[in-house]
Amino acid sequence: MISFEHVSKRYPGGVTALQDVSFLLGPGEMAFLTGHSGAGKSTLLRLILMLERATRGQVFVDGRNLGTTPSRFAPRIRRRIGMIFQDHKLLSDKTVFDNVALPLMIAGMRYPDIRKRVRAALDKVGLLSKERSWPLTLSGGEQQRVGIARAIVSMPPILLADEPTGNLDPELSQDLFRLFRQLNSQGVTVLIASHDLALIRAMGQRVLVLSQGRLIDDIAGADVAGAAP
Amino acid sequence: MSARATRRRMRSWGRRQLYSFFSSLGALVSHRLGTLMTSLVLGIAVLLPLGLYVTVDNLRGLDLQRENWGTVTVFLQADAGAEEAMDLAALIGREHAATVTVVTPEQGLAEFQQASGFGQAMELFDENPLPWVLQVTVQSASAEAIEPAVRSISEWLDGQDVVDSVQADFKWLQRLAGLLALGDAFVTVLTVLFSLAMVVVVANTIRLDVANRAHEIEVLHLVGASNGFVRQPFLYLGFWYGLLGALLALILLGLCMIYLAPPLERLLDAYGNTFAVRGLGAGGGLLVLLSGGLLGLLGAWVSVQRYLRQFRLPESRGKG
Repeated sequence: MISFEHVSKRYPGGVTALQDVSFLLGPGEMAFLTGHSGAGKSTLLRLILMLERATRGQVFVDGRNLGTTPSRFAPRIRRRIGMIFQDHKLLSDKTVFDNVALPLMIAGMRYPDIRKRVRAALDKVGLLSKERSWPLTLSGGEQQRVGIARAIVSMPPILLADEPTGNLDPELSQDLFRLFRQLNSQGVTVLIASHDLALIRAMGQRVLVLSQGRLIDDIAGADVAGAAP
Repeated sequence: MSARATRRRMRSWGRRQLYSFFSSLGALVSHRLGTLMTSLVLGIAVLLPLGLYVTVDNLRGLDLQRENWGTVTVFLQADAGAEEAMDLAALIGREHAATVTVVTPEQGLAEFQQASGFGQAMELFDENPLPWVLQVTVQSASAEAIEPAVRSISEWLDGQDVVDSVQADFKWLQRLAGLLALGDAFVTVLTVLFSLAMVVVVANTIRLDVANRAHEIEVLHLVGASNGFVRQPFLYLGFWYGLLGALLALILLGLCMIYLAPPLERLLDAYGNTFAVRGLGAGGGLLVLLSGGLLGLLGAWVSVQRYLRQFRLPESRGKG
């Protein structure tokens, strides 16, 4: 589903964010991406979202070589990916319902279908009662869940998350990861960038470790529990 | 692609348009004061060339009505009498499309005394020194045709034996025609300049709007919106601004005309003209509205396109 082959990314100005990164995340697989801040996690996610292009090597998403994909197809790639952001990226002048409905509006879906899908997504994250609320009136955890509802509302085959538990207390974080695992069990490919090592260990999923732009470790799920940080 | 898939695509496109349409209306309504101010600036920008156009257009109407601008004054020889004057008047009537008024020396003298204030000087003469005079007015279909008609009849009259001299005031006509042409040129120049101003004003307004909504645009991009989807509401917004500006200009123009028409008509009535001030008409008004909207659209396009360019990815490198 997501495949990196000897990918390097150097930003203009000479900063090398990724260097010779290779890994394969199969369909329906779930993995964590970890490393210190500045290790290249965000850059890796941005490459998958086609917000950047790799300087060297190949990135494949959903069977498509992003290096040879014209820029005008980038929106189409992004619509196949649900992305969850650390800072939620909600629109404060739109209600929770409208925020979650955004990807479906972009797809030009009929309003009755939008309604059904949005309510189902909000129900899944436990926020159905808040559909008429404004994002700023919600707690950080609730805002994060609105962001998740928006990421899953169009039922994309790939889910990416960038530090989704950044501002959440441990209990909420655990709920969140349980939700990711549930989605994953329904066949969604999930990649989560996080440095919450305790939780990662508790989840027992595959872990990719980045350090200074290099992929220094790729630990299989079975070996995660009890492994050294 | 199957017909069904095409239909589905068209419907999705229609729903997206609808979304943009309402989203742009929402933006207009939620910033009422800003909308009003922008529209007012645009309205005044449209009003200036429009007002000049209406003025020049009305002057041209005036030109056509002033038929005595095609009048030639013919002075007969001093020894020519009433008989020669009447004969020539009849000849002109037969040979040319013109009306002739005969002014006897007595009438001429009376007019001269009245108009010049030299009445007492005239008493120094033993007899009336003025000749018979014919006022020949050319009948012509259009303002442009008057000048050649006057020229040809003047030449013909000059050739008649009883005629001493012919006076036709071409200069005056030429000056008026020149002024009207200048007015037309001014309208063109102002239209071009203020159209440009309109595009710039809308572009700047939309630029600020885009900057204010940078976060929204970022989010839209992240969840898979194409540039077209991001651009659309702003294009509608630019169109609304232009349309509102043009509408305000028409309203202002109407108010100006209501205010200016009565004194103007009174003035022209005093000159013996039956004259009604002309506006733009329904067709002209529609054209102004449409042009306003399209110029607004252009301004918005320029602005949004400039903004979106900074998010453009480098193009694909091809294989390898």
